[in-house]
Amino acid sequence: MISLTDFLVVSAVLFCVGLYMIVSKQNAIQILIGIELMLNAAILNLVAFGKYDRFNNGGQMFALFAIVLAAATTAVALAIILNVYKQYKTIDPGKIDKLGD
Amino acid sequence: MDNFLQAIDTLTIKFTLAAVLLPLLAFIINLAIPGKNNKITGWISTGAILASTVLSVFVFSRVWNSHQVHQLVTWFTIGDTKVYAGVLLNNLSVLMLLLVNLIALPVHIYSTAYMNNDKGYNRYFAFLSLFCFSMLALAVADNLVLFYIFWELVGFSSYLLIGFWFTRDKAVQANKKAFIMNRIGDIGLLTAILIIYATFHTFDINILFGPNSIIKSISFFNKGEWFTPLTGYFTIPGVSYHLDAIWQYVAFGGIFLAVAAKSAQFPLHTWLPDAMEGPTSVSALIHAATMVAAGVFLLGRVYPMFNNTELTILAIIGCFTAFMAATIALTQNDLKRILAYSTISQLGYMIMAMGIGAYSSSLFHLVTHAFFKCLLFLVAGIVIHQMAHVRDDNKLNIDPQSILNMGGLRKKMPLTFITALIGGLALIGLPFTSGYLSKDGILIQAFQWSEGKSFVYMLIPVFALLTTWLTAFYVTRLIVKVFFGDLRLLKTYPSAKLHITDGGWQYSVPLVILAAGSLFPFFALNPVAYEHSWLFKAFSTGSSPATERVFHIVVPVGVNILSVLVIYGAYVIYAGKKLNPFSPAGALWRLSFNEWYFDRFYNKYIIKPLMALCRGVFRFDRRVIDTFIHSIAYAGMALAKLAAWTDQYIIDGFLYLVTDIVKAIGNFARRFQGGKVQYYLYSMLVVILVIFLLKTLI
Repeated sequence: MISLTDFLVVSAVLFCVGLYMIVSKQNAIQILIGIELMLNAAILNLVAFGKYDRFNNGGQMFALFAIVLAAATTAVALAIILNVYKQYKTIDPGKIDKLGD
Repeated sequence: MDNFLQAIDTLTIKFTLAAVLLPLLAFIINLAIPGKNNKITGWISTGAILASTVLSVFVFSRVWNSHQVHQLVTWFTIGDTKVYAGVLLNNLSVLMLLLVNLIALPVHIYSTAYMNNDKGYNRYFAFLSLFCFSMLALAVADNLVLFYIFWELVGFSSYLLIGFWFTRDKAVQANKKAFIMNRIGDIGLLTAILIIYATFHTFDINILFGPNSIIKSISFFNKGEWFTPLTGYFTIPGVSYHLDAIWQYVAFGGIFLAVAAKSAQFPLHTWLPDAMEGPTSVSALIHAATMVAAGVFLLGRVYPMFNNTELTILAIIGCFTAFMAATIALTQNDLKRILAYSTISQLGYMIMAMGIGAYSSSLFHLVTHAFFKCLLFLVAGIVIHQMAHVRDDNKLNIDPQSILNMGGLRKKMPLTFITALIGGLALIGLPFTSGYLSKDGILIQAFQWSEGKSFVYMLIPVFALLTTWLTAFYVTRLIVKVFFGDLRLLKTYPSAKLHITDGGWQYSVPLVILAAGSLFPFFALNPVAYEHSWLFKAFSTGSSPATERVFHIVVPVGVNILSVLVIYGAYVIYAGKKLNPFSPAGALWRLSFNEWYFDRFYNKYIIKPLMALCRGVFRFDRRVIDTFIHSIAYAGMALAKLAAWTDQYIIDGFLYLVTDIVKAIGNFARRFQGGKVQYYLYSMLVVILVIFLLKTLI
C-alpha cells in the first residue's frame, strides 16, 4: 500500500524541480515546462488528498479542472512566447529587460 | 524826495556790487583764457580794476560823510532764524573800498611790466583779480558770516600768491607758514562770531556794531554774567540771553587772534617776512597795503564790543610789535625783509592806536601807510628787477635782494630814487608828508591817553616815540645803502656791465601816483595839523580836550627834530665806506639780526614738540592700533578657517554621509529592479523562504 506521505514527497520533488527550472532556465519553453511540472505537483496533491472524499470525488474533479485550465494557460503562454519571439528575436527571459528602466 | 533818495541808494548798491564783482569776472575770464603767458589777461584784470575804481569813486562820493546805505536780502533760513546777506556802506567800508582799488590799480599796471616775462602770467593775474574781489567784498560785507567767508578767501588768495613760484622750496615753505598762521587767526574769528551769535542771535554787523550798536547799548555785565535783554529785536522763547562774562573775553581773544594773524602782530607775525617770497608786486598790494590792513579793518568794524581792559591789551601788543619789528628792521640785509618788518611795525602802530582809543588816527594811518608802503615795495621791486638783470647778464652769483650789493643807484634811476625818498620820508613821518599827519596823530593821542594814568602806561607812548626814531634810522640806512655811495657790486665783480634804468611807463606811472598819495595835500590842506584832515574828521567823534594843545606842539617838534638828527647820523654812518659799522658780535645786534629768535623759538618749542607729538601719534597708530587691528584680523581669519574646516568636514561630511547611505541603499535596491523577470521570481522565492525560515525559527 502506497502511503499518502509518498505521494506528498513525489509532489514536493516535482514542485521543487519545476521551481528550479523557472528560476534557472534561459529558455521560455523550458520555463513553461517548469510551470507545468509545478502545476502537476499540485494536481498530484489534489488526487492524493482525494482519497478522503470517496463519495463526491471532489479531489478528482478539481484535478480534472486543473488539467483543463493548465492546457488553456499553456496555449496562451505559448502564444505569448511566439509574440515575444517576434518582437525581440529571442525567448531568453534574461535578455527581455525592457520592463526595467 | 524819499523815493528819489531810495533810487539813488539802489544805484549806489548796484555800483558797489559791480565794483566788487568785476574782479571776480576778470578772475573767471582769465582762468578760461588758454595759454600761460597771454598778455590779454593782464589788460582784462587791469581794466576790471580800473572800472571798479571809477565805480568806487562814485560810491565813495555818495556815501562819504552822508547817510549809511544798507541793503540786504534773505540768504537762508535755519529753523526760525533768518540769515541775511547784504551790502553795508558807511564811512569805513567805502574808505576801504576806495583804498583797495586805488592801491590795486597802480599795482596792476606795474604788474603788467613786472611779470612780463614770467611763465605764469595768466595765473598771476587770475589770482590777483581773485584777491581784489575777496578784499573788496570783505570791505562791504554786512554780515559776520559773509565777512568770515571773504576773510578766508583773502587768506587763501594770499596763500596762492605767496606760493606763486611754487617750484621754489622757500616759497612753498613760506606760503604754508602763512596759511597755517592765518588758520590760527581764522579759528579765533570763527569762535568770536559763534559767541557773538550765541549771545545776540544775529550776524548783522549793522545791528551789532552800527550806530545803535546793541553790544554797546543793551548788553551789560552783572555779577560776572553777560546779559543781553534783546526784547526789541528777537525773542526766542526758552532761550536765555546771558552768558558768563568770561565769554566776552573769549570773543575778544578770538578777534585778537584773527587780527594778529592777518595784520602780523606779535605773536603771529613771523609769516609776513617769509611771505616776501612772492612776487614783489604781490608784496606791495597784499602784504603791505591791503590784506594786512584787514586786521585793522576788522578792529574798526567790531570796535564797540571792546572794554577798557581789552583795549589796553591791544595797545600793549601793538606797541610791543611796533618796537620789536623796528629793531629787527635795523639789521636786516634783504631789501624786502626790511620793508616787511617795517610793515609789521607800522601795523603795530595802527593796533596800538585802536587800543588807546585813537580810532580815527588808526584808520588814517592805515590809509596813508597803504600808499607809501606800497610805493616803497614797488621801488624795491624795480631795484630787485634791475639787480636780477645785472646778475643774469653777467652771470654773477649774487642775491639781487641783498642791499649789501647795491649802492649809488640814484644816478642810474633818478625817478625811482625820488619816489623812494618821498616814500621813505612819509614812513619816517617828516612834515609835508602824509605819514607825518597820521603818525603824529597817533603819538599825540598816545601821550594824551597815558596822561593821568600810572607810570607803566607812560611806557606805551615812550616806546612808540622810540620806534619812530628807530624807523628813521632803518629807513635812512635802507635808502643810503641802496641809492647813495658807489655800487658795491663793482667791488666784488669789477668787470660787470650795467644797464640799470628806471624802466618803462608801467613802472613810472604807478610810482608817481603813489608818491603823490604820500604827500600831505591829498589828505589835508594844513600840512602840520592832523585834525584838519578830511579823513580824520570823518571818524572822530568828540572835541579834543584842552591838554591836547600842549602835546600838539611838543610831540611833533620833539619827534621831528630828533628824527632829523637820527637821519643825519645814519647818513653819516652808512654813506661812509664801512660796510658794517656796528659790531656783529654784540648781543643786541644778534638779537635784532636773528629777528628776536622768534622763528627759532617757535621751531624749537612749538613746531618740534608738535612734530614729535605727531610722530609719536603716528608710531602709536602704527604699532599699537594697527597691531591691535591686525591681531583682530588674524583672529577673525583663524576663526574663519576653523569655520571653513567645520563646514567642509563636519556639516558637509554629515550630508555626504547621508547621501552616500541613500546612494548605497539605492544601488543595492536597484539590482532587484533590473527588469529581468527571473530575478523577480528569484527574489520572491528568497523572501518567502526567509519568511518561512523566520516562522519556523521564532
